[in-house]
Amino acid sequence: MSATNLRPSSRSRRWLPWLVLALLAALVVARMLYLGSVGERFNAAFFTRAAIDSVKLGSLYALIALGYTMVYGIIRLINFAHGEVFMVGAFTTYFLFTITPYGPMAAVALAAVLAFGVTRLVGFFRASPRDPVVLASGGVAFVALAWALTLGTWPFWAALLGSMLATGVLGITIDRVAYVPLRTAPRNSLLITAIAVSFLLQNVGLLAFTNRQTPFRPDTPLLTPIALEVGGNPVPTNALLFAIPLVTAVLVVILDAFVRRTRLGKAMRASAQDAETAQMMGVSVDKVIATTFLLGSMLAAAGGAMWGLNFGSLNQPAILGILPGIKAFAAAVIGGIGSLPGAVIGAMVIGFSENFVTALFPRTPDFAGITEFKDTFAFVLLIVVLLVRPSGIVGEDLSEKV
Amino acid sequence: MTRAVRTPTALDDVDPQRRVRNAALTLVALGLGIVALWALQSVGSTKLTQALALFAIWGVATVSLNLVNGTLGILSLGHHGFMLIGGYTTGLLILSEEARGRIESSARSTMTDETLAISVANLLRGLGLDGLTTPETLWVRFLIAIFLGGLVAAVAGLIVGFPSLRLRGDYLAIVTFGFGEIIRLSASTRVFAPLTNGALGFPGIESEFGKSVWWTFGFLAFTVFVVSKLKYSSYGRAMQGIREDEVAAEAMGVNVAYHKILGFVISAFFAGIAGGLWVSWLGGVRLDFFLFQLTFFFLVAISVGGTGSITGVLLGTALVVFVRQYGDPLEETYALRTWAMAGGVLLLVASAALLGFRTLRRLRPRVTPAVLAVAALALVVLLVAAANPAFLDGSFRGFGMRAIFLSVLLIVIMIFRPEGMLGRAEFSWAGLLRERRSEPTDEERRQDAWLSNPALNADADHARVDAAPDAADAGDARTDREGGR
Repeated sequence: MSATNLRPSSRSRRWLPWLVLALLAALVVARMLYLGSVGERFNAAFFTRAAIDSVKLGSLYALIALGYTMVYGIIRLINFAHGEVFMVGAFTTYFLFTITPYGPMAAVALAAVLAFGVTRLVGFFRASPRDPVVLASGGVAFVALAWALTLGTWPFWAALLGSMLATGVLGITIDRVAYVPLRTAPRNSLLITAIAVSFLLQNVGLLAFTNRQTPFRPDTPLLTPIALEVGGNPVPTNALLFAIPLVTAVLVVILDAFVRRTRLGKAMRASAQDAETAQMMGVSVDKVIATTFLLGSMLAAAGGAMWGLNFGSLNQPAILGILPGIKAFAAAVIGGIGSLPGAVIGAMVIGFSENFVTALFPRTPDFAGITEFKDTFAFVLLIVVLLVRPSGIVGEDLSEKV
Repeated sequence: MTRAVRTPTALDDVDPQRRVRNAALTLVALGLGIVALWALQSVGSTKLTQALALFAIWGVATVSLNLVNGTLGILSLGHHGFMLIGGYTTGLLILSEEARGRIESSARSTMTDETLAISVANLLRGLGLDGLTTPETLWVRFLIAIFLGGLVAAVAGLIVGFPSLRLRGDYLAIVTFGFGEIIRLSASTRVFAPLTNGALGFPGIESEFGKSVWWTFGFLAFTVFVVSKLKYSSYGRAMQGIREDEVAAEAMGVNVAYHKILGFVISAFFAGIAGGLWVSWLGGVRLDFFLFQLTFFFLVAISVGGTGSITGVLLGTALVVFVRQYGDPLEETYALRTWAMAGGVLLLVASAALLGFRTLRRLRPRVTPAVLAVAALALVVLLVAAANPAFLDGSFRGFGMRAIFLSVLLIVIMIFRPEGMLGRAEFSWAGLLRERRSEPTDEERRQDAWLSNPALNADADHARVDAAPDAADAGDARTDREGGR
């Protein structure tokens, strides 16, 4: 597991997290049993449903949190705009499966963007950006995508992949335009710029996409209902129960393999440890950072598409990205920022704190429940973790940096 | 920039004649300012008066935020939360009896009789000061309410600052952001709903104070007075020391935690006052008056004007308020062709500006791919617009253009002039009149001679290289003179 940490750590007291986890699990079980004895409604099906929602939400947060953690691991920037990248990913998916086929102009323009993303992806395995294989794949992708965009309505999976490419290109562009000129600037300047980019994307989204809640119901088998029964009680759910964690798992495995096995992945880990030294050893740190933005944004776009599926609609662009973004950041910090497994673990913690913990303190006749506070949990957890254990659950020791 | 920059202080002008002259100039300028304010608000439209009042209100907020962001060097992103606390406190305290009656009779209201009875008027009645509860003495109650709002916000600042100021840098920024959002998100929950009336808020707050130029500018003057006094006091110097190097400041005996908390609490106090004025300007309190975008606007004002400079921040605030109040032509519906043309021209200007910037800074190569790319894009857009194709028929509403403008402005400022227009320099008469602050002393002359003599100082070349960029850059040179290096 430690090999996938962008920054390796020396760990002491490895047992402590497990002890905390065991205690928590014991408390949770006790609480569930107590609730089961109090109310008829709080049966196994009730908690299964909460757990399902938690896992789905946690997987979604994980996809966003990975982008935060990778960027922070390498350039020490809290990429405030990442939540908005997620928003753009969600809306790009939406526009790819609803209003395709496009007219020739729009198709060519979008295909150019997507083909650029393809060249960057193929470029991972090639030394030079002008490598013939890269250029050829870009050309083929351009023609094929332009043709496909004018062909007919895209299925959801194609929209998801297209949106990932387009959003990845957006990530690279943000890095190139806004962050590259500030590489040597103080970190506060970088953070302010990230906030400005986030605000810019929100308003461009309002301008370019829509300014109201948008239904997100593609025609996909992922939404077929599943008849699930726990302890004789039905749990309403659909194929997303498996699809969302599966998509997350597949993407995380690919990312993990990339970071561990490829040259660029090695360069990424080297840059995360010490960018200056890595540069001296011949690593092109700028390329590594661009790659980080590309991968992080692609994952966020996948998260955005699945988010839309999960909730059936997208909030308006100015608010869609903020809360998921900041909660995913909290997840990255809780897990240990800079660590890939940490991001996933932290995301699950946030997902469970939002749904499962709410289910543990449900609305009863003499208690109004804690649902209305659930948006603040992530912030409270974030603050507590930063104050008590800034390195997070699996992270390196950051105490002198924080 | 690790070279020591002497902090400009009010006592820098040692020449007594100049001090008298500067004081006279300040008085005259203040008098002229008051006359101008009077003329503007009696002659100008309601819109202008409102814009002026908004400038003063946001000025209170930005100057106080700058105490933390500029003087203390901590990026705080939770200012809207403190403004919310001040705004709700003020709003609840001065809500009129009839507005309370409407809330009481409303079925959706979440306020209780006890919370509805919280008001300055009731407080004064309890103290036996019935004379101050008449409609004529509303201003006294308003002042008390605003002050109490500031105090409550300051207490919140203490509660927030105590744990979070242990962190550094961007973690601190994110935690202040988190606290700001927690304040906003929990204001509508049932814990605070009896005080805040949930998502409904309270409409019908007296707006004669918030919209009056005199009241708001009075508060702005008070804020600027306190913050500038603080900045040039020993507290302020300690804060600036923390900004420059926290470890060094601690080693020099500065109580870092104490000064951070102090700055944070004072900043929160004035944020609360700004919040009270803000709800009075708006004429009501609702949760969506206190979104994060408020802090973002303040951040733009501070960064554009000059982080750490009170005058610079006021300049930036003026710009932001101008864009907010007079930028609505940007958000109207125009033909797509017009938008394309405007975009093309804008890109062309951006390309030229980039070229000009590189020329001015003597950067090589002057023409970079970025310059060419932007120019090419501009040409393509202009050509397409000129060719007048069918897809440009139709019109487009520039919804949110003001916010887009401000965020682009912030990005551009951060890339090209991260210290803002004025940097850390304050306005001064000596600076305006381009005077040298004082002649160098003999000791300074001897040091200069030593530093620039290669025979005596092995680092002389290095020293000259260090000094060169300042000579090349007119803007920096001016800053340096004002900084009194």
